[in-house]
Amino acid sequence: MPRILLIEDDPQVREGLEIALRHLGHDVASRGDGEAGVEAVRSAPPDVVVLDVMLPGADGFETCRRLRAFSQVPIVMLTARSDDLDVVAGLEAGADDYLTKPVRPRVLEAKLKAVLRRAAPATPAGRSGPLEFGDVVVDRGSLVVTKGGTALDLTPMELRLLLALAGSPGLVLSRQQLLAGVWGQDHLGDSRLVDACVQRLRAKIEDVPADPQLLRTVRGFGYRFGL
Amino acid sequence: MTAPRVSLQRRLLLGVVGVAVVTAAVTGTATVAGFLVVAEEHPIGANRVGGRILAELPGRLTTAQVGLALVVLGVVLVTSAVGTAVSLGERVLRPIGRLADAADRMAAGDLSVRVPPDGDDEIADVAQSFNHMARSLQESVTTLQRMEETARRFAADVSHELRTPLASMVAVTDVLSAHGDGMSADAARATHLVVREIGHLDRLVTDLIEVSRFDAGTALLDAEWVDVAAALDATLVRRGWTDQVQVRAPEGLTASLDLRRFDLVLANLVGNALKYGSAPVVVTAQEGPEGIAVDVTDCGPGIPHDALPHLFERFYKADAARARSDGSGLGLAIALENARLHGGDLTAANRPDGGAVFRFTAPAAVRPAPPRPPPPR
Repeated sequence: MPRILLIEDDPQVREGLEIALRHLGHDVASRGDGEAGVEAVRSAPPDVVVLDVMLPGADGFETCRRLRAFSQVPIVMLTARSDDLDVVAGLEAGADDYLTKPVRPRVLEAKLKAVLRRAAPATPAGRSGPLEFGDVVVDRGSLVVTKGGTALDLTPMELRLLLALAGSPGLVLSRQQLLAGVWGQDHLGDSRLVDACVQRLRAKIEDVPADPQLLRTVRGFGYRFGL
Repeated sequence: MTAPRVSLQRRLLLGVVGVAVVTAAVTGTATVAGFLVVAEEHPIGANRVGGRILAELPGRLTTAQVGLALVVLGVVLVTSAVGTAVSLGERVLRPIGRLADAADRMAAGDLSVRVPPDGDDEIADVAQSFNHMARSLQESVTTLQRMEETARRFAADVSHELRTPLASMVAVTDVLSAHGDGMSADAARATHLVVREIGHLDRLVTDLIEVSRFDAGTALLDAEWVDVAAALDATLVRRGWTDQVQVRAPEGLTASLDLRRFDLVLANLVGNALKYGSAPVVVTAQEGPEGIAVDVTDCGPGIPHDALPHLFERFYKADAARARSDGSGLGLAIALENARLHGGDLTAANRPDGGAVFRFTAPAAVRPAPPRPPPPR
């Protein structure tokens, strides 16, 4: 039974979601603000975090960044404002996915399942030879990625995306292809997930993330990996 | 304006009097000169009338000299008349031209335009009146805009405020539904009603928030180059409509679309066609010189003639007597906003052979250059 940590400041919404998630058979803990949420993740790491954007004190984005500083736990953002900018900001802060409020329990359930499934460690590829791209080495057997000999700390989604890209070096993969191949068909349509994950991956594997040499954008088409 | 006012009327009067004086002088001189010439050439008549005067004049005037004098005087006359006209015209026409320019700019929407009120005549008065009018108009428009903005922000705020209590209610609806079995018949019906209406409220608030994002200008287009046929199929598959809807899209037709928004538009159009029209519902995509066009046609009764112009208005109901539907009443308004965000349009019409047709168009975006394979290493 996956353990869910719910970080939501409104007591009624929190209670409602708790009831709904328990009813669906989950083990739910909840916190009312970002600081308490970060502490809860530190002391008893859950399987997935449901994080509201609008929080008193440190808001959802800040809380998300603080969580990402020490944890690769899957995070689903609840955007109250459903602004496009909110979604993008949430994904860039390190959230794995998002939902807009009000959330229907079944939709939340489906999203949590998808996030948990994707958070499962990537399975090593059949061909396990390490791929070298300059000082970045992707070992598809051991699923270890190093840059300049130092092992990189990638989230499961970042690793999956990197494996998909590095698996066809030099080829342009469209955002839709990556979305379907890496995130799964249930996400058809929202390629902002790909963009945000690419940004985060670049921050880890590129020398100058703002001027990527390895993971390049092919404007209007998608992304291309390789030197 | 403290400068002494010189009436345009007085200027005109002065100008006309000036021209008249010059004209009189020239005519008089010409008459006298002509008379002298006549007196010289016809001494008999002249002896009686002006022989003495002629005799006292130094020298004699010939016909040629008089002609020359007349030409010179004529030139002076014409020049002074033209000068007066030009100077008056300048004074009158230039400010009028400025006024006309200002009026044009105002008509084009620039309410901040003002005319320099220099000058001290009636035209300056008109300029001042114009400026006064522009100022009042600008103030009125600003007030109206502020009121409209307040109203829109109010609608947005209300929607957001409704969302939080709604979020807790929506969260527990499934729990409520699941426990309906153990309730009395009335309690179960009441629960069913509450759950259904919470769902309706949820759709309404979600759509209101969506609309308020368009009003606030925060809706962003996230377009990418996509295969149109694949996008159409994805929408139909996701909603389980593949058996009820035919798709006709040429293979390889691509367009620059925001897939999430395109999906919403198409789902709204096809959903309406299935609900209000009748089978077969057909979705046709084609490429024209202006971009792509996606038609959703049905074979139902079509759209009532008087409803056509209002179809995309918010909360418009084609049949006032029709019971509240499941929708929010904002679906087509949002679909239109989404089409416009693409730089395209959404239109509705009745087909000559029956049924309604909705057309989504999106302009042909500049097609990015195809990616080149990386150089061999």
